[in-house]
Amino acid sequence: MSKNKSASVFASVVFLKVQEFARRPVTEQARLRAQLDAVVAVTTAELAPASRIVLEASDGIAVVVLADPAGALRLAERAMAAVAAGLPLSIGINHGAVQAMRSDGMVGDGIAVAASVADFTSPSRILISRSFRSALADAAPGSEAALVPAGTFTDSGLRTHELFRPDPHAARRRARRYAALSTGAVAVLLAAGVAGRVSKVGQESFVEGMLAAYRDTAAQGEKYVRSLVQKVKF
Amino acid sequence: MAKKKVARIGRYRILGELGRGAMGIVYRAEDPNLDRIVALKTIILSDDAEGRKDYHKRFFQEAKAAGKLTHPHIVTTYDFGEEGDLAYLAMELLEGTDLRERLLKASLPTADAVDIAYQVADGLAFAHERGVVHRDIKPGNIMLLARGQVKIMDFGIARMRSDDFKTSTGIVLGTPRFMSPEQIAGAPVDQRSDLFSLGAVLYEMLTRAPLFAAEDTPQIAHNVTHVEHVPPSHANPEVTPMLDFVVARALKKDPTVRYQDATEMAGDLRNCLAELHSREAAAGKGRDHVTKTVKLESTDDKAPQAPAARAIVSDTRLPLSRQFDSSAALQRVAAKGGRDRERLARAPRPVGLLRRLARDGGPRLLFAVALTAALAGAYIALG
Repeated sequence: MSKNKSASVFASVVFLKVQEFARRPVTEQARLRAQLDAVVAVTTAELAPASRIVLEASDGIAVVVLADPAGALRLAERAMAAVAAGLPLSIGINHGAVQAMRSDGMVGDGIAVAASVADFTSPSRILISRSFRSALADAAPGSEAALVPAGTFTDSGLRTHELFRPDPHAARRRARRYAALSTGAVAVLLAAGVAGRVSKVGQESFVEGMLAAYRDTAAQGEKYVRSLVQKVKF
Repeated sequence: MAKKKVARIGRYRILGELGRGAMGIVYRAEDPNLDRIVALKTIILSDDAEGRKDYHKRFFQEAKAAGKLTHPHIVTTYDFGEEGDLAYLAMELLEGTDLRERLLKASLPTADAVDIAYQVADGLAFAHERGVVHRDIKPGNIMLLARGQVKIMDFGIARMRSDDFKTSTGIVLGTPRFMSPEQIAGAPVDQRSDLFSLGAVLYEMLTRAPLFAAEDTPQIAHNVTHVEHVPPSHANPEVTPMLDFVVARALKKDPTVRYQDATEMAGDLRNCLAELHSREAAAGKGRDHVTKTVKLESTDDKAPQAPAARAIVSDTRLPLSRQFDSSAALQRVAAKGGRDRERLARAPRPVGLLRRLARDGGPRLLFAVALTAALAGAYIALG
């Protein structure tokens, strides 16, 4: 068997599953498949041909994206826009080991988990495994913040998967959180400096020192303003 | 029974032997009352008195049901009865060849294969509407007549045969290649089982490759139950994507996602037939004007049939899409060495603090602001 496969690589797998595909009439299946092919053609166009492998599943398509988790996520989000055009999609994304088979196609746990996540996903949603989130963090630290927890599920092989979903507002919320933390840190550190000074010289002398410093600064300021006014008068 | 020359069975005068099977002999016979030549199918009854009683009851029940099926694509049963150790059925005598023999001679044109499957589906739809399930649809039970007409043989009695074998020996005799997974499992079957069998027959007509073939019966049973088929278009480029879908739907292991009735399948097959005919017409038209060389992809490699998402948990193989060229990326994956290969083979690393501070905007801002505030605080504290 090993002769038939190449060594495994780690890749992001985007599994685009057409909801209830097998139960639909064959004419509708053919239409949906053509629509899905068109969606994949459009969404993979932004990826370099050397970084994507398109695989066929009986109820969808799996796109294996090499060394570009952010590209894989973008692909999934763009494909999800096709739902508005009447293509009932659910998308599962995973990052894991895959192997090319010499005969045709690919195998690997990366594909299996993406497929089971897609199978679990409700219509018009994208669900993402923890390993994909880690891969995204590794490729672009901070970008994983756009993925928020969406619960856990246990697949038919009794493996539990921690899932995430993209949240367009999560990155902004995080930026605001960091800004608030920065402000808080400034306040705390300055207050600590003041407290340290007070404990060292005593409260009265600190207040006096501060007032003296304030008076000096005010006097200097007044002097500066006066000289400026003089200059203007001339 | 085999060696003894029979002159008459019931009121039928035996004219000759047409064939022999596991159940008994099929004779060419004459009905003197109607002056009609019939095919007289005999079935050897069990020696066991109790078993015989039960068999007798079921035989008459099934034969009665089959006798009600008068349809252009079903062999008509005229009469049935019992004589001595034999039960018999007088049926329409057909001049033609069965599909099994036809497939042994040469491959069928794709449109002909679809037409045969369509006619069988049409016949099955009629029978299923009347509550009769064939249970043994296979090439040997499909008769091809002159002018392309197709008839299904052995309606009703096929079930008795398989049950009989099962109860007497504990195993199902004969090839299970055309049986549905639920039939192999011994579960109750309904009309959807016939549609699986028809899907298997259609597959074989389209590809000439025996579906689920294996060295022995248990292995075939395993293949029927677990192995997904290679899409027929991989072996026969004339098979359209729609026809691939029809075969895939008929061959679903789970009956709930298979075709639910033969009418629906017949409708899809009719659409496929129309598509094939229009393609043929277009090709014929094109040939009048230009000559074109089309390079067909090699079909030597047997790619696995694309399984559904649910099935991939146990079977992770997915074939390459034929719509997209993935060769450049596959070359990267198959490369033996190099930095790119090493990069691809590397599992994601956890993001450490330094890398986080260097590349993540939020923590970087927090760190810079906190550092500045700490220096300012220290300056205040230390004067």
